[in-house]
Parts: sequence; structure tokens; C-alpha cells
Amino acid sequence: MEILKMNNVSLTYQTVEQETKAIENITLSIEDGEFIALVGPSGCGKTTILSLISGLMKPSGGTITLMGKPVERPGSETGYMLQRDMLFEWRTIEKNILLGPEIHRNLSDEVKGKAEDLLKKYGLWEFRDRYPGQLSGGMRQRAALIRTLALDPKLLLLDEPFSALDFQTRLSVCNDVYEIIKSEKKTALLVTHDISEAVSLADRIVVLSARPAVVKKTFVIDIDAPTPLKRREKSEFGKWFDTIWKEVSV
Amino acid sequence: MKKQKSEHELFIYKNRNRKIKIIVVQVLILICFLGLWELAAQLEWIDSFITSSPSRVIKMLGELKEQGLWKHIGTTLYECVIGFAVSTALGSLIAVALWWSDFLRKVLEPYIVVLNSLPKIALGPIIIIWVGADAKAIIMMTVLICIIVTIISTLGGLMATDEGKILLMRSMGATKRQILTKLVLPGSVPTFLSVLKINVGLAWVGTIMGEYLVSGAGLGYLIIYGGQVFKLDLVMTSTVILCFLAAVMYFAVALVERFFKKRSF
Repeated sequence: MEILKMNNVSLTYQTVEQETKAIENITLSIEDGEFIALVGPSGCGKTTILSLISGLMKPSGGTITLMGKPVERPGSETGYMLQRDMLFEWRTIEKNILLGPEIHRNLSDEVKGKAEDLLKKYGLWEFRDRYPGQLSGGMRQRAALIRTLALDPKLLLLDEPFSALDFQTRLSVCNDVYEIIKSEKKTALLVTHDISEAVSLADRIVVLSARPAVVKKTFVIDIDAPTPLKRREKSEFGKWFDTIWKEVSV
Repeated sequence: MKKQKSEHELFIYKNRNRKIKIIVVQVLILICFLGLWELAAQLEWIDSFITSSPSRVIKMLGELKEQGLWKHIGTTLYECVIGFAVSTALGSLIAVALWWSDFLRKVLEPYIVVLNSLPKIALGPIIIIWVGADAKAIIMMTVLICIIVTIISTLGGLMATDEGKILLMRSMGATKRQILTKLVLPGSVPTFLSVLKINVGLAWVGTIMGEYLVSGAGLGYLIIYGGQVFKLDLVMTSTVILCFLAAVMYFAVALVERFFKKRSF
């Protein structure tokens, strides 16, 4: 089933000095359960695309539909995960995770039960009454992912979610997040400038051009390995990295 | 394992020792200061008519007790606490309103900047004529001195909210009101607590300055009166009481701070 459909989407920023075309004629569709990575030179408008899909911004042209319905405003169909974990320091982990349901005034026992299950399943149950400052960077990012999942979104939007972590942690958190997303059977759209990250995670990589961003090329990554870490060990990994790298650079 | 434990015990012991030392030295300084002051006055190294002395301060306290010391303390404390509470509450509300409306903030910015740099004491005569020569004028002066700083500092705290966190809440579909109550306000508690501490000091400045301008009772009144009739004992005694009251109020705020730091909200 098609989760997301972007049709000829473009966006122009207005400032007093000038008009800037951020993205132009982006057409993209994502199937249920897919893991897509968007890569491109920095400043090419990758984050803009996520903002448009989440409904934080309105496109200047084209249409975006989620599960067949046009995106009007931010809602619980998409879950946004940002570079930093953005956990609220004054809330316990459990309260942080229930932020989304709280905003939607939907703190039913069912929702709470689901959040509890997620906490238990992904090893944060013992830490539910701790504050974010008492957790390691990797655990915090896992908590941020669970917070996103608590609203049961159809599509996860990941905006360079690992870039604030050190390299060692990044690899293991990346693995972690991938496994959680797969076991929850979620669809994900990842934005990153880290090509090796994209190759290790994605089923499909969409390469964008420099601003204004257009879709340059799409690659289906067919490395047969169960996890991102295992993928990095395969020989095709390097080949794919080179291919994508060249495509981004030229 | 055993060695480690004893090392930890040693650390705790050293730590406690250090804390005791600090308190002992603090008390010693006070005793030395008071002792030297008294000694110098007794041996007539200094003229105790001008410098007063601890024993004269204590004697003065006794005299004042019969002449309505509690009334003076009560008056000043009342003016200070009301001024502090009003300016903190009103200032915070205005800060929230300015956070809420970009337009209002931009419009009022130059006015706030000018009011901030204006020496509020210059408004003394106007205040007296407008609200009358009584406690109301003093409270008004206190509020004027505290409120601008409250607005500027609190607004600074509200505006410093992490953009990323706001984006996160918006992406979850939060309303502006939810962003305010769930993110901006709880995130600004540390700022608010430091504003409280600043205001304790400023409220005393405002109250005493107000009493210098216009008053029939209060510690500021006693200080001014004592200065005019050259009764330095009275000036010193009132100042000592002021020190004490200001310290008590500061510790009360420190207690509020501890309360907030303990709970999550």
C-alpha cells in the first residue's frame, strides 16, 4: 500500500532580500514498510521536504498525500525525530514518552499500556522514572524514538537522528533504531548527509541535487543482511557507497 | 573492596571537615569584626558617637522595642513583600503576553528599553503626587524598580526556549497554548527562580528608597530620621535589622527554589 505520495512538490522561501527556491518538482512515493533515505549535498532542502510532509509548512506547488489524504496540518500520522533527542529535562522518561498522547488529550489506559509495552520491550522500563540527564546518549535517542512511536505514526520522519552522537554510539544506536522500526513494522523516511548511514539502513536511496533540490536518481539497495551493522561488513557495501558518493558529488 | 570503602569514607570525612572549617571561619570573621568594633569604641580609638558600637546597637534595640520597633519592621516588611509579590506576578504575566504576541513585543521594545535605563527614583515626586504620600507610594516605587527587570529577564528566559523542542511539539500538532504550558513555562523555571532572587534585592532597594522619599514609619524612615538628628546608633541599628530581614527573605526564596528543584512538573 502506498503510504506517501508527493507529486511535483516545490517550495519557495520568501525573505525581504529575495525569493529562494528550496525544492522543485519533487515526485516521490513510499510504500508501506519501506525504509527510504534522502541524501544530497548539505543545504539542499532535505529538511524542508520533511517539514512539508509533516505539515509544518505548506508547499508552494504540487500535492502531498498521506494514506490517500492531503496533508493539511501536523498530526499523529507522521512522527518527527530530530537531530538531538529533544527530551524535556524536567520530565521523567515515561512522562517524556507520553508527551504526544498528552498533546492529543488521549491519555487512555490503552495508550499508556502501549507506551509501557514499548518501554519494556526496548529496555527502558527500569529507567522510566529517571530524568533524561541520567541517561546515556544512546538511551536518550532510543527514548526519543519511543516517544515518536507512542503516537503510533504511519510514517517516521528521521532528520539526521544520529548526527549528534559520537561515532561509536552512532553505529550501535543506528542498529538499535533500525531494529525497533522493523519490529514495529513502521515506514521510515531518513534524511542524512552521511552516505554510509544511508547505505546501511535504506531499502531505497533517493539522491537529491543541490538547491533547488530535484530528485536526481533513485537506487534500490539490495544488500542481503539483517541489520545495518551486518550490512557494513558485506562487500557490496563499499560498492554502493562509491556509487552514491559519486552521484552526490557531481 | 574494603580499601575502596575506606577511601570513600575518607572522602566524606574530608568533605565534612572542609564544610565545618568554612562555617567556623565565617563565624570567626563576624565575631572578630564585632569584637574589634566594640573594642575600638571602648578604648576610644574611634568616636562611637559617629561609628556607634555593638553594645550601643543592643541598647538602642532595647529602646526601640518600647517605641514601636515592631511597627517599623512591620511597615517596611509589608511594603517590601507586597511590592515584591506584585512586581513579580505582574512582570511575569507581561513577559508571557510579550512572548505570546510577536507584534506586541516589537511594538513595546523601545518603551521597555527606555524605562529600563530611566532611574526610577526620578519618578518619586510624580508618584507621590499621583498616589499620595503614604505606603502606596513606596509600594509603587518598589514595583517600578522591580517590574522592568522582571519583564526583561523573564522574557529572555521564555524566548531562549530550544527551537528544536518547539518544532518537535509543533510536529506533534501542539497548539501555542500547549507549547506555552508544557514546554516554555516549565523550561523557564530556572530563569524564574533567578528573577526571584534578583527581585528580593531590588525590592529592598525600592522600599528603602521609597521610605527615604516619603514615610512616617519603617526602617528607611528610621535611618533617614537618625541621620538627620545625628543619632548614628539609630542608623546602625536599623541597618543591622535590615540586613537580617533581607537575609531571611533571601533564604525564603532559596527554600522555594529547593522545592521546585525537587519536583517534576
